[in-house]
Amino acid sequence: MPDSHPLVVVGHGPAAHRLVERLSRLGHPGPVTVLGAEPRPAYHRVLLTSLLDRTLTARDLELPAPPDGVRVRPGVTATAVDPARRLVRTGTGRTLRYDRLVLATGARPRIPRLPGLLTADGRLTEGATTLRTPDDAQRLADGPVVVLGGGVLGTETALALLRAGRDVTLVHPGPHPLHDRLDATAGALLAGHLRSAGARLRLGRAAVEYRPGKLVLDDGEILRADALALCTGAVPETALARRAGLAVRTGVVVDRHLRTSDPHIHAIGDCAEFDGEVPGLVTTAWEQAETLARILTGHDTHHRAGRPVLRLKAPGFDLACLGPPGPPPAARHLILSDPARGRYAAVALSGERVAGAVLVGLPRATAALAQLYARDLPVPADRFGLLLGTAAGERPAHVELPDTAVLCHCNHVTKAGLLRAWHDGARDLAAIAAATRATTGCGGCADDVRLVLASATGGNSDP
Amino acid sequence: MNRTPRTLVVVGHGMTGHRLVEHLRAHDRHGTWRVVILAEEPRPAYNRVALSSYLEGRSAADLTLAGPGFLTDPLVELRTAAPVTGIDRRARTVTTADGTLTRYDALVLATGSRPFVPPVPGHGLPGCFVYRTFDDLDALREAAREGGPGVVVGGGLLGLEAANALRLLGVRPHVVELAPRLMPVQLDDGGARVLTRLVTGLGLRVHCGTAVREVHATADGRAGRVTLTDGTALDTRLVVFSAGVRPRDELAGPAALATGERGGYLVDELCRTADPRVWAVGECAAVRGRTYGLVAPGYRMAELVADQLLGRPATPFTDPDTATKLKLLGVDVASFGDAHAETDGALEYVLRDDTAGTYAKLVLDPEGRVLRGGVLAGDASAYRTLRALTGRELTAPPDRLLSAPGPGGPPRRTRAADAA
Repeated sequence: MPDSHPLVVVGHGPAAHRLVERLSRLGHPGPVTVLGAEPRPAYHRVLLTSLLDRTLTARDLELPAPPDGVRVRPGVTATAVDPARRLVRTGTGRTLRYDRLVLATGARPRIPRLPGLLTADGRLTEGATTLRTPDDAQRLADGPVVVLGGGVLGTETALALLRAGRDVTLVHPGPHPLHDRLDATAGALLAGHLRSAGARLRLGRAAVEYRPGKLVLDDGEILRADALALCTGAVPETALARRAGLAVRTGVVVDRHLRTSDPHIHAIGDCAEFDGEVPGLVTTAWEQAETLARILTGHDTHHRAGRPVLRLKAPGFDLACLGPPGPPPAARHLILSDPARGRYAAVALSGERVAGAVLVGLPRATAALAQLYARDLPVPADRFGLLLGTAAGERPAHVELPDTAVLCHCNHVTKAGLLRAWHDGARDLAAIAAATRATTGCGGCADDVRLVLASATGGNSDP
Repeated sequence: MNRTPRTLVVVGHGMTGHRLVEHLRAHDRHGTWRVVILAEEPRPAYNRVALSSYLEGRSAADLTLAGPGFLTDPLVELRTAAPVTGIDRRARTVTTADGTLTRYDALVLATGSRPFVPPVPGHGLPGCFVYRTFDDLDALREAAREGGPGVVVGGGLLGLEAANALRLLGVRPHVVELAPRLMPVQLDDGGARVLTRLVTGLGLRVHCGTAVREVHATADGRAGRVTLTDGTALDTRLVVFSAGVRPRDELAGPAALATGERGGYLVDELCRTADPRVWAVGECAAVRGRTYGLVAPGYRMAELVADQLLGRPATPFTDPDTATKLKLLGVDVASFGDAHAETDGALEYVLRDDTAGTYAKLVLDPEGRVLRGGVLAGDASAYRTLRALTGRELTAPPDRLLSAPGPGGPPRRTRAADAA
C-alpha cells in the first residue's frame, strides 16, 4: 500500500514548481510526488527567448531544486487517471494512489493547418519548429528565419532573433502584431520598433504553403525560410483529463477552489479554465499555484479571476497590457499620446480603478499602474502626471504600497523583502538581485524594484 | 461741426459690415465720417450665426442687429436691396444695380461669402437649397411641409446647423460629409465620434467619407433621389447644400483689385487693399491670402479698419483666434488652439467617458506644461478656462482643469472585490 494521503502533481512546469515550493513553505505535511514529462528539471519558460539571443543558456533557465520531501520523477508521463479508485497510471507502468491530484499539464503549441508543414508520419517538416522547450530553441535552424504569428511569443522571438543578428521576417494575419491586445496607435509603435530593429513585417498575411527553405504567403509572395518558427498559439493539454471523464471545455474546468468536476482533482496553470478563461500567462499560473497551496494546507481561500499583466519581453521597448484581452468593461478612458517620443498610454477606468491599460514607452507609469491594478486601488487625482511619470512635472508619481505587496512575481519577493535587503546594504539592482533574487526571473519587475529602492534612498538612486 | 464729413461707403450689411459701422460711430465723436451702407438683402444686418433660431420661433425682427438708434442715426444711410455692380476707383464711385452712383472717400468691401454648391448633376433642381439667409429659410420651410427625409450636403458647422433646421421642420435629415468625420476642421476623430453618437441618437443619419454623386429628378422635374459615391441611394425631395462657403469677390475684376489664391479680396494684416482708400473685411477678405469663415475674426477686422479710419491705434490682424464653441443639436463642442496637435513634439492627453458621452483632449508641449490647444465634445464647460490658458503654462494638473462636473454625475464606485 502506498503512502497515506499522498499528493500527486502531474506536470512540472512553472505552476507545479511554484505549487510544491509554496506547499513546503506552508508546512504541507504529506508526501508530494511530481510527474514531469520532460526529462529535465523545471525551468523558466518565460525566459526561453533568452536562449535565442544567447544571453542565457539552458542551464540558466532551470528553477531551484524542489524542497525536501518532494519526489520529482522527470521523464515520467501520466497516462491515465482513475478517479473512482484515485489512481494515476504512469508511462513506466506504475500506479500511484492519490488523495489529491493536481493537473498542471500546461499547454502544447498549436500547429497551424499549413500544406507541407507536416511529414507523412505527422512530424514537422525539416526547418520548422515550435518554441516551447529549450530543445525547440536549440533546434531552430541557421539562416533567414520566418516567425509565423505575431502574438507575444512571436513578437518576442522575432526581437530576440534580431538581437542575435538573424535575418527575420514576421508574418502575422492581423493589421499589426499583438492585434488582439493593442489598438492601432500602440500597434503602430510596436510595428515601428520591430522594423527599426530590422524585421521585415508581413501584416494582414497568412501562410498557404511550406516547403523546406520557403514559405508561400496568400498574396503569392515566397519568403526564404531556412528556419520557420511556429508561434501560432497554444492549446491546453487536456487529454488526460478528458480520458478521466473530467469536465473540459477549452481547458480543464475548475471552480474557485481550483477543483475540477472531481472534488479530489485540481487543475492549475495553462491547462485550467476558470470562469471561461484560459489566460495562458505565467503570472496567472503562479497565482493559481499559490492559492491552491493555501487551499491544500487548510486555508480558507479561493481563486479570483486574475488581474493579468502582460509585459513584452523586449529590452529597450516597454510595452505592457493590463487586463484580459478585449475591450475592458469600462466607460472612462485616459489616453496619453506622444508620437514624437514613441510614448502612448490608453487606460480604461471603472470608477476610479484601473480596468485595463495598454502602455508603450512609459516604464514609470507601467510600474505604478500595474501595482494599482493588481491591488485594485483607486488612481490618484493627477492621472496626467501618473502617465507621464511626473506629477505636474515636479513630484514623481508615487504609489504607496503595503509591505506585503509582491513585486517580483517570478521569485515571490515582497516590498518588505526588498526593504530588508536595502537595510542590509543592497543599494542597487545588482545587489538587490543577489540578496533576494528579485529581477532575476522575467525581469519585468525591474522598474518596480527601482521605485522601491528610490523611495528607500529618498529619490537619489532613481534614474 | 466745422468740416463736412467724409464719406465712407460700406458694401454689404452682414454682421461684419454692421460691426464696422457700429464701432466707427461709437468712436467718431466729432462726426468726421458719414456712412453709406449698400446692402444686397432687402433688410438690415441680422445675426446670421443664430439663423436657426428663426425656425424655432424667433422672428426676423428678433435677430436684427440694427437697433432704432442705428437706423435713425443721421450720419448713417442704409440702402437695402441695393447690390453694388461696379467700382470706379479713379472716380471713387460705386454703382448699384439701379444705376445710382455713390462717391466715396473710403470704401470697405464687406460682401461676405456665398454657399458653395458642388457642381454635381442635378444640383439646381427644384428641391435643392442653400442655408444662409432668411429667404433661404423661408423657402426651406415651404418645401419641408411634406416631411419625409432630407439630405444635407456637408457635415461641418453649417451642415449640422442645417440638419438641425430640418429636424425642427419635421424632416429626418441625412448628413453627407466628404471627410471621414463630422466637423473635420474643428474636431479630431475622438471628438467627432462623440458628436456622431449623440446626433445619431437624435435621429440624424450620418454618412462620412462619401460625397453626392448626383441629384436625380422625379417625373415632375423635382429632386427625388440622391446617390452617393459609395453607392448609397437616399430618397428625398429636399437637398440642402452647406458644404462650405466661397468669398464674394466678384467686384475685384471690374475694379482691378487683386484676389487671394482661393478667392477673396487680397489685403494685408491691416485689411488694406493695394488702393489706400479701399479695404476689405470679413469673409470676403483674404488676409495675406487666407480667408476666415467665423464671425470673431470678422469682428476683429471690422474694428481694426474702423480704428484706422478714425486715426486710432489699430492692432494688426495676426494669429487669429479660431477657437470655436457651440451647441449643435444640444451637443456642446469646442475647439481651440492647436486642436490637431500639428505643432512640434506635441503631446495629446484625452479623457473620454462613454457613459456620459463626453470627450476632452488637451494638446500640450513636449514637457506637458504648456497648453497648446484642445477639443471638447459633449461637455464644453472647461472651454473658457482652457481657451484663456492656451499658449500659457498650466495652472493646475490637466485632470483638474477638465474635472468640471459633466452631465454624467459623480463617478460610480466599483464593488469591492471579495476578500481572500
